[in-house]
Amino acid sequence: MAPFELVAPESVDAAVATLRAAGGALPLAGGTDLLPDLDAGRVDPRRVVSLRRLPWRTLDWTGDSLVVGATLPLRRLEADPDVRRRFPGLYAAVRAVGSVALRHRATLGGNLARAAPASDLIPVLLALDAEVEVVGPAGARTVPVDAFVLGSRRTDLGPADLIRSVRLPESRPSAYLWQRVRPSNDISQVAVAVAYSPSRRDWRVAMGGVPPRATLLSGAADALEGPRPDDGSIRRSAERAAREAALVADKRASEEYRRRLLGTLLARATRATVAVEAP
Amino acid sequence: MTGGPLSWTVNGRARAVTGVPDDERLLDSLRWRLGLKGTKEGCRSGECGACTVLVDGETTLSCLTLAREVDGASITTIEGVGSDPDGAAVRRAFEAAAAVQCGYCTPGFVMSLTGLLRERGRSVPPEEIAEELGGNLCRCTGYVAIVRAVARALSEPP
Repeated sequence: MAPFELVAPESVDAAVATLRAAGGALPLAGGTDLLPDLDAGRVDPRRVVSLRRLPWRTLDWTGDSLVVGATLPLRRLEADPDVRRRFPGLYAAVRAVGSVALRHRATLGGNLARAAPASDLIPVLLALDAEVEVVGPAGARTVPVDAFVLGSRRTDLGPADLIRSVRLPESRPSAYLWQRVRPSNDISQVAVAVAYSPSRRDWRVAMGGVPPRATLLSGAADALEGPRPDDGSIRRSAERAAREAALVADKRASEEYRRRLLGTLLARATRATVAVEAP
Repeated sequence: MTGGPLSWTVNGRARAVTGVPDDERLLDSLRWRLGLKGTKEGCRSGECGACTVLVDGETTLSCLTLAREVDGASITTIEGVGSDPDGAAVRRAFEAAAAVQCGYCTPGFVMSLTGLLRERGRSVPPEEIAEELGGNLCRCTGYVAIVRAVARALSEPP
């Protein structure tokens, strides 16, 4: 790892200006994903811009919508009883990230910005219709998470853009389930996030764990009828998911194994969501 | 590059640490600048938990933390854990349950359990305990005794 200069600006403007000025600068939030990449030489910045002094460790409720500051440690998110009650899928997904000690530093903003193909948080953010609030040289903008994540390790962020916060527009009964070879320190072979929107009266289904990125499965979502879909509806949804999902084989699982997992996890996640009392 | 001195409170004692490069990990500062070698380096990638310390009371992977990012913090390592009432209870529980094989993972487990008791008290639901401590790996696979130690620490008043 080549030495870099670490700076910790005191304001958002200064952070953006620093990123803009220095060619080869990278932002640092919790560092739990960036530091292993620095060690492995996958990134080689001349300057690292720490976000630790920015006022983004926040959790703000407005009615039943929630804005999560980009640098709030994930452990603080899971420790909030309202998050657990009103966004059960998000709670489960956060608990699936690394270990407790890792989650004391890892952040929602960092997870999104690094856009790992196996991210546990992106599927549930898709199912919750999350919006990413970005600040940068051109000002502030809001990007739906589906348009924000472009591929494996690729996002809509420009080189001097930062994620300020993530907005979850409404509380939703939801669930997140995953399958791994080793639960504590592996990444998922397949993960499924499911949410029911009480205002839109429809479902969202998202698949994770399959490169290059988490995706919404709209056919599977459309097959789920009403707030309490019956077994036939759940079965049709699982069948559609298996048809529409772009699955790949890699060292973690074959395509066929992933297809079976997807249907099983989707049915279980849907039943778990139905079992959630409306928040 | 190297900035000014860092000031930490380490195991209750104020320490000024000089000459720390910007890319140095907390793990390396503790072991090689302060000589606190009870904190172990395992995987150096956040998977094994051997390097766990408390930073301002929270369990933290010192291998994935830049030293300069925690300037001003209060840090507790295995060397100082006995001065904390929860830490002392955890240490007693590990001794009583003989929850040590080769010992390499032990400091990390003791720090993680101490941090858990500080954060959530002794009323953690039993079904969540394994998950709470799932970030610490024992390569000897001596988990049965470790689970006994955890049960003992949770049942003992501090």
